[in-house]
Amino acid sequence: MTAGTVFDIGYQRYTGPREGRARARLAVFKDGVRTALGLGRGARAKVLPWGFIGILVSVGLIMAMIAGAASRIVGAANVEQLNLPSHSDLYGITSIILFVFAAVVAPELLCRDRREGVIHLYLVRPLTGSDYIVARWAAFMVVMVAATWLPQFGLLVGLAMGAPAPVDYLREHWLDIPKFLAAGVAMAAYTTTLALLTASFTTRRAYASVFLVGLFVITTPFTTGLASEIGGTAGQWISMFNLTNIPVHVNDLIFGEVSEITEHAPAGAFSGAVLVSWYLAWTLVPGAVLWWRYRRLAP
Amino acid sequence: MMPTGEALLAAHHLTKHYQDVVALDDVGFTISEGITGILGENGAGKSTAIKIFLGLVQPTSGSAMVLGLNASERVEVRARLGYMPEHDCLPSHVSAAEFLTHMAEVSGLPPSTARTRAADTLRHTGLFEERYRAMGGYSTGMKQRVKLGQALVHDPAIVFLDEPTAGLDPVGREEMLALVRKTHREFGISVLFSSHLMADVERTCDRIIVLRGGRLVQSGEVGHFTKETETVFIEVDTNRDGLVAALERRGVAVTADGAGLTIEGPDESVYDHVRDALVEAQAPLRRMAPRRRALTELFQRDGEGAAP
Repeated sequence: MTAGTVFDIGYQRYTGPREGRARARLAVFKDGVRTALGLGRGARAKVLPWGFIGILVSVGLIMAMIAGAASRIVGAANVEQLNLPSHSDLYGITSIILFVFAAVVAPELLCRDRREGVIHLYLVRPLTGSDYIVARWAAFMVVMVAATWLPQFGLLVGLAMGAPAPVDYLREHWLDIPKFLAAGVAMAAYTTTLALLTASFTTRRAYASVFLVGLFVITTPFTTGLASEIGGTAGQWISMFNLTNIPVHVNDLIFGEVSEITEHAPAGAFSGAVLVSWYLAWTLVPGAVLWWRYRRLAP
Repeated sequence: MMPTGEALLAAHHLTKHYQDVVALDDVGFTISEGITGILGENGAGKSTAIKIFLGLVQPTSGSAMVLGLNASERVEVRARLGYMPEHDCLPSHVSAAEFLTHMAEVSGLPPSTARTRAADTLRHTGLFEERYRAMGGYSTGMKQRVKLGQALVHDPAIVFLDEPTAGLDPVGREEMLALVRKTHREFGISVLFSSHLMADVERTCDRIIVLRGGRLVQSGEVGHFTKETETVFIEVDTNRDGLVAALERRGVAVTADGAGLTIEGPDESVYDHVRDALVEAQAPLRRMAPRRRALTELFQRDGEGAAP
């Protein structure tokens, strides 16, 4: 072993490049992704996000295994008649898991920064409140998109591998890919925006999570029961307030078929334009409120 | 780096109203390289002035220029500014090394450079050994060092320190003041040091700006203020009254100070008058020494004078 000497060359001025707002936005975005997934943190920080992602992927794989088993039992030619759940149904089936995932994980991106005062350090750097919230929104959006797409890819691979001729299966069903990609983005944008908006009103992650889970869990049976009780157009509009169904209606429009979770929803009788407008209202208005809350934020 | 002598910060007729409350009232000053103390009680307008310079608050009228630019119009200028807030601002679950690296990137530095600068800055602020520990377990002194480190990690032209000694014990306070002095004298970074503790400012700063009720009441070199407050203290064994009379006959104003006498703002000729007066009064001299009042006493007297 050789002896070494550490020389203290004193403080060095920085004369290299300064990449300004673009680098600042990217840094906040990267930190948001790492925070959401618990990367670079202890095991406890990873349990929730990766647990949810594991459950979501499992749902896709289980659906693929059921389809594979059914194909072997009844034969590949007859499996279509069983009308087994597929890509168009997956978001409906997993929607409540996705909402709970967003409710539990998204507040971590905003609440902690405000509770611990880190937001004050962000806002005195080459970064505006708008830059910060857009970067945080984009970070969680990426995580949510991954969480929605992964089970679909798992299901696709499972179905293809279970088919007698995987290449033929992919050739026949390739159109499902852009459909589930687009529907996944719609689902992710809606959940990301609502979850972050709720998180922007409190510094406590637990409050935001409980409120969001309660909102999604309570509105579903409440609106479903009330809509069927009242019936008619009023019942249809009440059904529109079933928050878990709002992005699933868009999913149905993209796939051109009604998924299992929305087939009995009175709101499904509205035209596609009304359903899309309703979805956009529930995504863009909360998004605008979220942006407005952070736009003029100052320590 | 700004050319030597050029103003880093300049306030011209700076006014800020919060509805009916006047936070700053037609304030004007410039700050060049060095350590400048901004003094004032709570509500004097210190924080408002800093927020305007950082571009976080718009002035009602007047202008605040930072490195020749308006920070509220040019967010990019904040890449050359550092800010150490008084309140807590550190994430408890992250290590100091990771946090400073992230803050350097948010200030616009490329990731590889950010890592190097974070390690260097933590070494210079005395936190190198503990840099991989989560900051939730840090003492108040260590947290203050990280707060200073995050303000310096991107090598700003000027750093705003808001009450950097708040909550520190006497040893921690001395170390922090030494770090503040080192920030300018060794690192070459100018400092705007906001405090309500005049003793800290007097011992650390080259210049001071004093705000009271949103108005500028004093500004100038610290040395100028302390020179103004020089006194000579004299103590004699007997015949103090005779000495007072002899000094007053020579036009020297004296005030009783306990067992001795104090002469305010003496010039060189005073010592000759004291010698002659001592001989005339035949008062045996026990002690004679020049003294300086602290800035605290000066501004206390100003405050008393200004009071209705």
